[in-house]
Amino acid sequence: MAAVTRPAAGSGKAAPGGAGGGGPSLLRNTWVQAAAVVAVLVAGYWATRALGGPAWAGPFPTAVGDAFMAWLDGVYGWIVVNRNDSPLFLYFFNYVSVGLGSAVVLIDQFLGFLTWPGVTVLGVLTAWRVAGWRVALLVLAAFGVFALTGLWNESMTTLALIIASVFIALLFGIPLGVLAGRSDRFHRGVRPVLDFMQIMPAFAYLLPFVLLFGIGNPAAAVVTAVYAFPPVVRITALAIREVPGGAVEAATSLGSTPWQVLTKVQLPLARRTILLGVNQTIMLAVSMVVIASVIGAGGLGDAIYQALSKVNVGQAFQAGLAIVMLAIALDRVTGAVGHGARTPDVPERLRLPLLGGGLVLTVAVVAVARLMGVRGWPREVAVDLAAPVNAVYEAVQAAIGPTTAALGAWTLDWVLGPLGSLLTGSPWWLVTLAAAALAWIFSGFGAGAVSGLAFVGAGLLGVWDNAMDTLSQVLVASALTIALGVVIGVLMSRNDVLAAILKPVLDAMQTLPPFVYLIPAVALFSIGRVPALVAAVVFALPPVIRLVDDGIRGVPAPTLEAARSQGSTKWQLLTKVELPMARGSMLLAVNQGIILVLSMVVMGALVGAGSLGFDVVFGLAQNQLGLGLASGLAIVCLGLFLDRLTQGRRAPRA
Amino acid sequence: MPRQDPRGPFPDRVRALFGTGARTAPRSARRGPGAPAPRRASLLVRGIAVGLALAAVSACAVRTDQIARDPGVVRMALNGWVGYEASAEVLAYILREEMGYDVQLVRTDEQPSWQALDQGVLDVIVENWGHEDLMDLYGPEGNGTVVDGGPNGNVGGIGWYVPGYVVDEYPEIAAVDGLKEHTDLFRTAETGDRGEFLGGAPGFVTQDQGMVNAFDLDLEIVFAGSEASQITEVRRRYAEEEPVLFYFYDPQWLQEELELVRVDFPAWEPGCDEDLEWVPCDYPVYDMNKIFRTGFVEADEPSYQFLDNWTWTNEQQNEVARMIAEEGLDPTEAAEIWVDGNRDVWEPWLPEGRADR
Repeated sequence: MAAVTRPAAGSGKAAPGGAGGGGPSLLRNTWVQAAAVVAVLVAGYWATRALGGPAWAGPFPTAVGDAFMAWLDGVYGWIVVNRNDSPLFLYFFNYVSVGLGSAVVLIDQFLGFLTWPGVTVLGVLTAWRVAGWRVALLVLAAFGVFALTGLWNESMTTLALIIASVFIALLFGIPLGVLAGRSDRFHRGVRPVLDFMQIMPAFAYLLPFVLLFGIGNPAAAVVTAVYAFPPVVRITALAIREVPGGAVEAATSLGSTPWQVLTKVQLPLARRTILLGVNQTIMLAVSMVVIASVIGAGGLGDAIYQALSKVNVGQAFQAGLAIVMLAIALDRVTGAVGHGARTPDVPERLRLPLLGGGLVLTVAVVAVARLMGVRGWPREVAVDLAAPVNAVYEAVQAAIGPTTAALGAWTLDWVLGPLGSLLTGSPWWLVTLAAAALAWIFSGFGAGAVSGLAFVGAGLLGVWDNAMDTLSQVLVASALTIALGVVIGVLMSRNDVLAAILKPVLDAMQTLPPFVYLIPAVALFSIGRVPALVAAVVFALPPVIRLVDDGIRGVPAPTLEAARSQGSTKWQLLTKVELPMARGSMLLAVNQGIILVLSMVVMGALVGAGSLGFDVVFGLAQNQLGLGLASGLAIVCLGLFLDRLTQGRRAPRA
Repeated sequence: MPRQDPRGPFPDRVRALFGTGARTAPRSARRGPGAPAPRRASLLVRGIAVGLALAAVSACAVRTDQIARDPGVVRMALNGWVGYEASAEVLAYILREEMGYDVQLVRTDEQPSWQALDQGVLDVIVENWGHEDLMDLYGPEGNGTVVDGGPNGNVGGIGWYVPGYVVDEYPEIAAVDGLKEHTDLFRTAETGDRGEFLGGAPGFVTQDQGMVNAFDLDLEIVFAGSEASQITEVRRRYAEEEPVLFYFYDPQWLQEELELVRVDFPAWEPGCDEDLEWVPCDYPVYDMNKIFRTGFVEADEPSYQFLDNWTWTNEQQNEVARMIAEEGLDPTEAAEIWVDGNRDVWEPWLPEGRADR
């Protein structure tokens, strides 16, 4: 099975290893090396304890970090005093916030002006025209959910926020992407910035933006736009690069100017792919809009946040359902535009009349609705899902609460506790060296160097102890996520019925805002690190399951047939053929799982996980820019390490 | 309104356009069937005028306290505990239904709310706990963007609480010396061989670590992270009669659902909480007050006069808070029920000439 073609599914930065070339001996070797590194770390920890923790073997000195935080706090103080005097604010930031705040309000008012029948007709018609009748029905269902959960107005506010912020993200993202697609140097320069932006936890974005743009919709729109903008840059650049060189060459040789090449050849050919980037951007915007409710953005996120602050799981579920429907509808519509699939086949000459007819219909509906005094959906006409959901929740809590609490205590005593003290109790340089060595073993020298620097960075930020505590939590949560994800993914790839059931559930879980997982986790696992861990695992599981399933299903049938005909048992088939051949997907799954777990660190602080996440939340709540930002950056450092550790060796292409 | 504007007055017509908002109910619709037409017209006018405003804005400097607002909208901060929400929702309900205002409730933490007042994004905080440092920064002595609106009638106490069943078993625990003997009771898996002190939400006022230090208590603070998760945890332990020691406050509706005992510490004296690392006293008693944006006070509209007149008691607040948190009523519904049943209480709050509307 040495030189079989790799499954097409897994791709991206988790490049495959040497296609299984070295076989088990190399693999064993790697793991032996890793075990040796861990053994050294443990020995170092015990040695430090035996020596009574001398100063040279302690945690990272905090002097630099303290100075950095004090400096940031100084910046904060300066901004508070000078917000209305400094030209930077008078002519830039204040403009952006006033302009954006108004844009959101205007869009919201426009949606309100259309009334609910108007919005529904417009949405469904648009969806039908660009994506076919199935998607149109889905959009109709989404509007139905908004109305029947009694969250029509909130949904419209969220929609307005998403429209405004996606517009800004695209306004800046597409030109930057085009530039990165055409210039290699620019691409190299911008890539680390995008990496950084994607690892930075969403919560850590909030603090600096509140400072610069104020509380409420303006800051929410900016922060959502910034958070959502990396994929559109990346994918636009990729799309431009993928335009066949021959086409560009042909156009150039016919005497096209660079501008003509761009607008007549590259952009039209790259259109489909760019639209997929737009789709990704919208999905990120949806998730950020919910988190932005913490800084005063209204809409569905606010509804969830408020329900959770009253421990009303049912109400939070209702609002979560509305978000899920919004996300799925937006995803299907923009995704269909990108794939160009299932568009109704309208003859050329009928297109204009059709468009006109649609507009007339919409205007007519709006006019009639307004004349009849219809506005938002009447709140009285709603289905109450909250009560039954709450009943189920309480029943589950009563049934399995004691067991889960005991399980939680056990995890703390035997897993989280020891790992935490190992990382915080060892000398900082030993931990850093161990991390660098591990990354080197698994992903090559470059990754090792980056990891070492990331650890030193976390130390320089002055939050070493908390960073190590967080790291221990992330490691445990990741291990659990990956183990569960692989098992469920393998089962799913074996059983089509299970896959059909699980797929929509995974879809919903991926779009459900992470807030929603917190309160049930507290009810079952009490306060502290364990519920945070559980919430993180649940949050990170869906993509892992999906990637494992995809990877295994992507193994070519002839290969399986060959293995079977040689008498492989099912277990052999799985461990010797399918899993190794799905290695690309598996690595990507591990990588994605870990990064998602990391992004839940801050959320975990809301249920008592402490450490870095708590400092971010605390910094935001108590206006301590220094502590909040330093902790956010330390999370990025950990993310860099974990990302490099799991990206796999970049094999020279065969 | 800006206090001083070197470039002359920013046209009021234009300023009135921004800031209508998110959670506003259509005012005209609530006023009855006769009103939709002006609403539509005004929306169009607003649209054009906002465009003009944007054009005007791009030609000159923008100060945050100039962020324009519609005089018909009151923008209230909504801090993260249910008692606050009860006050805010009742006030919002009266402002909407009786006085014809639109009300925007913006959910933020305590400190960011002050910042929002400073930036002119919000008009009022209806329940403020202390925060003298922020008053120094933003008040008349500092930026001059906020003013103290006087007490709102609620008296707040923060303190350390234990459930009644713990005190039944160990009566001495209700005072600091007895607590010191029994910190081992509160050990949990999370804190190992130290006792656990369950902290509040990160945004709340706290001096717990200073008290732990000053009284030499063998406790570790675990932050619940939000009011909701703290209450969930306390309720869970209460149901199982497990010991728990936690940060809590009054007025709080949970105080009536569970039997909680406040641990006695030496009383607060001025200055004893100056160093937050060493606080040898209890929390002070807070006379909760309202904080207004200076511009909101200067405009002196009926909405301000109403909020200025308003005061109510802890019992009244709890009545509404319990409906919201315990019975799971929609906050607006809870406010409606209270307002319908207590006309004699709130009618005096209305500014003169408004009582008969």
